[in-house]
Amino acid sequence: MAVPLAAAVLVAGLTPARAQTPAQAAPAPPPAASRIDLSPECSVPTAKLSVIAPMPTVKAALRDDRAVRVLVIGAATGGGSFSAMPSYPERLRSELGRSFGNAEVVVVHRTLSGEVGSGAAGLVRTVTAEVGPDLVVWQVGAQDALARVSPEELTEALDETIGWLRSHDIDAVLVNPQYLAAVGDDAQYVGLVRTVDEAARRARVTLVQRYEAMRHLAGRGRERDAPSGFALSALGKRCLAEHVARTIAQAVAATEEPAPAGVPSR
Amino acid sequence: MREANAIDFWRGVALVTIFVNHIPGAVYQRLTFSQYGISDAAELFVFLAGWAIALATGRPGGADSPRRVVLRLASRTLEIYRAQILVTAVALAMIAAAAILLDNPLIIEWHNAGPVFVDPVPTTLGWVLMTHQLGYFNILPLYVGILALSPIFVLLARVSRAGALLLSASLYLAAMILELNVPSWPVEGYWFFNPLSWQFLLVLGFVAADLDRTSPAFRVWARRLQPVGILGVLAGAAVVLSDWRPDPLAVPEPRLLFLFDKTYLSPARILHFLCLLLAFQGVFAWVARIAPWLAQGGSALGRNSLEVFVLASLASLAAQFVRFVTGGGLIVDTLVVFCGLCVLSFTAWFVEWRSRSPRPSSLRD
Repeated sequence: MAVPLAAAVLVAGLTPARAQTPAQAAPAPPPAASRIDLSPECSVPTAKLSVIAPMPTVKAALRDDRAVRVLVIGAATGGGSFSAMPSYPERLRSELGRSFGNAEVVVVHRTLSGEVGSGAAGLVRTVTAEVGPDLVVWQVGAQDALARVSPEELTEALDETIGWLRSHDIDAVLVNPQYLAAVGDDAQYVGLVRTVDEAARRARVTLVQRYEAMRHLAGRGRERDAPSGFALSALGKRCLAEHVARTIAQAVAATEEPAPAGVPSR
Repeated sequence: MREANAIDFWRGVALVTIFVNHIPGAVYQRLTFSQYGISDAAELFVFLAGWAIALATGRPGGADSPRRVVLRLASRTLEIYRAQILVTAVALAMIAAAAILLDNPLIIEWHNAGPVFVDPVPTTLGWVLMTHQLGYFNILPLYVGILALSPIFVLLARVSRAGALLLSASLYLAAMILELNVPSWPVEGYWFFNPLSWQFLLVLGFVAADLDRTSPAFRVWARRLQPVGILGVLAGAAVVLSDWRPDPLAVPEPRLLFLFDKTYLSPARILHFLCLLLAFQGVFAWVARIAPWLAQGGSALGRNSLEVFVLASLASLAAQFVRFVTGGGLIVDTLVVFCGLCVLSFTAWFVEWRSRSPRPSSLRD
């Protein structure tokens, strides 16, 4: 179901505080109409899914009619040539291409193979330099949570990396860790989810609230067949491309038209 | 069984360091030398592998024939490949078991394992071909790659040591400048350790061992350059502790030459490692004098490096599960590191006990 961002922001304002992560409280840019539909199985209210921030570099690429290069960093979710479903990068490219009016979108995927904290931050810099993207989509926090990395170390890695990307005019999207019942009561895990949210809010970068979205999918209407455990995890993987694409499209739509090259911006 | 010696001892040190560093988040990582320099235990391990090849293929009493060199290195390559397949299979089983026992699907995504379970058809082929590698289980594929290349350099060095070094350096520079690496599959990307780059360190180790054996001047110069090594180590520690690193988008092209990149083994890492070698030469003799038990224990690990490495990899994965379940902390980290070191020591003892004991079939006689 498509939810206009204006309504989403309104809903966010009415949602009980305990259901919000700190990032949800961040002021969202002026909304723009979004016509990107989520499939029924992945349907999540926008307020639970996205916190958007400007993406001037992607907007400029679209304005200049050049290919948008997207670097996706995070665990591989399967799918592809020998699978019944396309891979996450393939789906993301297709969804973004459609939402950008069939503009050319190049999606490159890299995994971090278990690196955490500052090690992960270093690798993000390296692969970013290798790929040369307009936008980096970073699924971050899950490996750190598994390794019990401290929130301070993750905060430092996030702040440093986001600042570095911004200094090179590269847009960023953070995707926080997934929700599963097994980690719902794990204070350290939830603490790292909040650490990612706070870093996004502080730096004013777009955030995909995967944790909130999957929690919504897990408890949707208390349906008898609500997914849990491995089924929920599989559903989360299937929905990831839709959720990320929808959030990016909304953020780009809400971004002011950047000044043409050579014209100083305000 | 060989007597305790510097090569085995430093290999043992590298194995212990790799074990601890493969438990991300553990407080004891701060005690490893890798945290205070640009290079780490991987460089030490590969350099010593090259040194060991020189010892194994060029004995003072008469070098192996070319045919025997190729066969011995091919045999060792297969042995390491077999170890990689075994350790990956056991690690995947451990990850699956932990996910089931803890009823936590998140665990199957541990260290790039997700595609093996979610997309098993191509990924099974991928991990058997080593084009899909689990995080922290990617050193043995590198070792397979560089050992497979090594006969070329070993045999060329018999004709011209400089020629072997030049060929190796050319391949290293070409890989770095043209960014050539082995692709991963089915997941998009490249090998974490690029064998086309890391072969250079193996050849450096091989040539250094050859010079150490045949050239008195080499030893003299190594001793004279020790202060330079110490300065280099201090400079490396200052760089790491100040958290400075080159900006990969601000350095000139070819950018990998100016970074601290581990995948392509940037020159700064090699320089730092050579400084470590110069600075710490002679330390083994000092350890053997004041703590012989430590020299013997470290050497025992190094003598049985492949078996100890395999168990160390699995022990570090088990330690990660324990930290996840318990939440980690100083007490847990102390316990898991202590237990891990016991496993490593027992493995070394057990392998040597097996080699000394009569084969089980002889019991039937």
